[in-house]
Amino acid sequence: MFILRFLLRRLAQGALIIFLVSALIFTLLRVVPGDPVRLMAGGMAPEALIEEIATEMGLRDPIPVQFTRYMSGVVQGDLGQSFVRPANGAAVGGASFDDSTRSARAEVWDLIAETAPKTIQLACLAMVFALMIAIPIGVWGGLHPGGWPDRIALYCSSVFVSLPNFWLGIILALLLSVKLKLLPAIGYGGFAWTILPALVLAIEIAPFIIRSLTVSVAQIMGQNFIDIAGVRGLSRNQIIFRHGAKNAAVPLLNLLGVQFSMLLGGVLVVEFIFDYPGLGLLTINAVMQRDFPLIQGIAIVTAAAFVLINIVVDLLSTLIDPRLEY
Amino acid sequence: MDGTNTATPLLEVSGLSVGAVTPEGTTPILEDVSFSLRPREILSVIGESGAGKTVLARTLASWLSDPLKVTGGTIRFRGTDLVNDTAAARKLAGREIAYVGGNPAGALDPTMTVGAQLVEKLRAVRPEVSGAAAKQKAIELLDAVRIPSAAQRFHEYPFQYSGGMMQRVMIVDALISDPALLIADNITQPLDVTVAAQILKLMRDLTGRFDTAVLFICSSLPVACDASDEVLVLNKGRVVERQTPEALVASPQHAYTSQLIRELPKLWDTAAAAPKEERGEARPIMSVRGVAKHYTAKNRAQGGTSVVQAVRNVEFDVFQGDNFGLVGESGCGKSSLMRLLTGLERPDAGTILFEGEDIGSARPARIRELRRKFQLVLQDPYGSLPPQKSIGAILEEPLKIHRIGDRKERRERARSVMSEVGLPEALYEELPNGLSAGQRQRLNVARAMTLEPRLLIMDETLSALDQTEQHKMLDLFERLQAQHGFTYIFISHDLAMVRRVCSRIAVMYLGETVEVAPNDRLFFDPGHPYSRALLSAAPTLEERRYDPKDCLLEGEPPSPIDLPPGCAFASRCPQAFDRCRGENPGLTARGGRALAACFLNPRRGEDAPSMTTPETTHA
Repeated sequence: MFILRFLLRRLAQGALIIFLVSALIFTLLRVVPGDPVRLMAGGMAPEALIEEIATEMGLRDPIPVQFTRYMSGVVQGDLGQSFVRPANGAAVGGASFDDSTRSARAEVWDLIAETAPKTIQLACLAMVFALMIAIPIGVWGGLHPGGWPDRIALYCSSVFVSLPNFWLGIILALLLSVKLKLLPAIGYGGFAWTILPALVLAIEIAPFIIRSLTVSVAQIMGQNFIDIAGVRGLSRNQIIFRHGAKNAAVPLLNLLGVQFSMLLGGVLVVEFIFDYPGLGLLTINAVMQRDFPLIQGIAIVTAAAFVLINIVVDLLSTLIDPRLEY
Repeated sequence: MDGTNTATPLLEVSGLSVGAVTPEGTTPILEDVSFSLRPREILSVIGESGAGKTVLARTLASWLSDPLKVTGGTIRFRGTDLVNDTAAARKLAGREIAYVGGNPAGALDPTMTVGAQLVEKLRAVRPEVSGAAAKQKAIELLDAVRIPSAAQRFHEYPFQYSGGMMQRVMIVDALISDPALLIADNITQPLDVTVAAQILKLMRDLTGRFDTAVLFICSSLPVACDASDEVLVLNKGRVVERQTPEALVASPQHAYTSQLIRELPKLWDTAAAAPKEERGEARPIMSVRGVAKHYTAKNRAQGGTSVVQAVRNVEFDVFQGDNFGLVGESGCGKSSLMRLLTGLERPDAGTILFEGEDIGSARPARIRELRRKFQLVLQDPYGSLPPQKSIGAILEEPLKIHRIGDRKERRERARSVMSEVGLPEALYEELPNGLSAGQRQRLNVARAMTLEPRLLIMDETLSALDQTEQHKMLDLFERLQAQHGFTYIFISHDLAMVRRVCSRIAVMYLGETVEVAPNDRLFFDPGHPYSRALLSAAPTLEERRYDPKDCLLEGEPPSPIDLPPGCAFASRCPQAFDRCRGENPGLTARGGRALAACFLNPRRGEDAPSMTTPETTHA
């Protein structure tokens, strides 16, 4: 009953957020300079033809009219068609305004559905690596506040946070792929191609997790119920793993939610470096090509993912700590 | 000193010394402490704050943390040396030697149900017990400590329990492994008197039933005497005497004990005259009429919101130059009422007249002007002072806010109030963090005084101080009143303090004033069963005028969310009858300037009981 009401309320709020994000992205894209039709038709196309195509596509209508038309498609699950990408997957044509295949443009939904799983795979693997690095260091540091494990945690996070990801990506590719030939680096041909970019991402987000864990574990371990648990006869393992870890999990969970959302929406640099065909690479190309429908589609999908992840995080937090109310 | 019981001692402490060991040297906390405890015996340990009581409790529970260390002596529990054999001591902790602390609020993991944690604890110390058996035992014990509907409460979380119920849960937690020794460290300290009385009774019942010996650590002599077979007095880390409660009170051996007994405030001492009501002016300085305040709280289980009726039907007058007392247990609405009286919040109904002006409906700017004349002194000596401001700046701030005087005048004013409350002038530039709790409360009083108010509201101002310090503060209040003609409202749960200083007292229960009466009348002829229950549970060494057995039913106050339709006290009142459950009696005059909200009192005009108190002359 509580969960149902919670979900209803949060999903309604989420729908509103997604609507506002769409409106914002839609408007901004149309106010900034740069005419997508010019890019589609190519620099050589006559001005009259550009106007003709633009009018035909509805791009000269007032923004609210365009937005209404777009949103009525979105609620039916239609994110529109890419301006530039053909459905057959052929190269993007610059000067081919009279190309007969131009009409068969790719569906935005298909483009996202094709790339999103790869990004999710990358994000999940990165998260697993990050937790594998951060949990031992962070918990250990939190159990000895002020001691040398705490200092190790601090030094590790400082080093990790100051490594630029593009540099780390190149170095790791050089080391693991070129020198040692352990892992493939560029493109995507299977799970093995995910490992290297995931490692780079993991090192990027681990410091935040380490910091959050050291602080929350140290704070929980100073609480009265932990202090008194030993006198009550509980063993040290029970105290740390059943009570300490569980209570420290709530702040960690919130951080992971934010981090995961960021991984889904914005692993632009890392995907670009490794030419990893995920949402990030798709976004970069869409922006460079002024592919309005694709940018909008990606924005809506990532906003929806943000909303859903936050709902899941809050629900899990209430399950762990029943005092929390969302 | 040993009694007739010749059974072998369960616990033998001999020559125990504990100190804070630092590289700079060792500061002794306990020195040469020796005593023994037999099975089923209850031994109280009393002493002022800093005497080493809690360190003793922790040493016995093998729970010393740095820098505290045992520096000498032995602790033998059934022959096992707890000091040297730490492995054995750790095995006994929680199993044979159980510990209950004075702070039940954070004692259990907030993310697990109470039941799960009781089962977890039992199975941690006795792995041979099955989960089902542990659950059954936990529910049985919860039932034994009178947790209502224990089987359902088993599945609830700690935050769903009240403070009194959590303390009972912690007692269950200690007793669930059938320990031979229970160390109870200040367990009644945070509880209301009526709940504390229930817990003490329960502890006695349980020790009889489960053959447990109890070391009862306590800072209140009456509670210690009430609870135990023998009392051990600890002074500056040393045992100064051990006697049965009767012998201790009759013939204390040590100077500290006799001072403690001498200074103990008395509730029914007819030799010392109770404060009389002063009637300088006919008009009351503060007049409270039918005041009510409710808050809305989110209800998680059913959705929607529920209304918490924090204050209802509060009525009283406070006269110029008088000491007015407001007593009641936690959750009775004292603090909500304080917020209304000081204009921090506005009442939903009723009026609060201060010198004829309604605070409840005054403009915010006007309330600010009026605040010059009524000031508040809070309970917490630590949280109520800004730690980064010098004492002088703290005292001058109210003057700055109200734009009074120039720098030099403000400085002079601050110095003069400091000397009035007994703070050395040298402290002017100091930060408050070096002050003791008593000095901090003096500073709080000084801050309230700088504006030369007419009315001072003291919200539990003395409850954080020990008995000796309380004494000094009350003397100070008296002197200031004589010099400045202050009127005081004391909000308190301490009946003995109220008895000593207040001329007129209002008793609150669940947001309502159930009785308003002159001092003597309230203590010798209370008009409400709840007042009698409070008096019966108050810790005192005197012979009780009201027997706890006749005055209070088991159970806790109903929640202010689901108030019963009739008298709020009906569910705990031994004299309740049908009318009480359907109709709220309301405050009614019962002669001699006393009012009470109870149907059992004769109505006005009917035969009023003859008055023995001198207040009648004022009426």
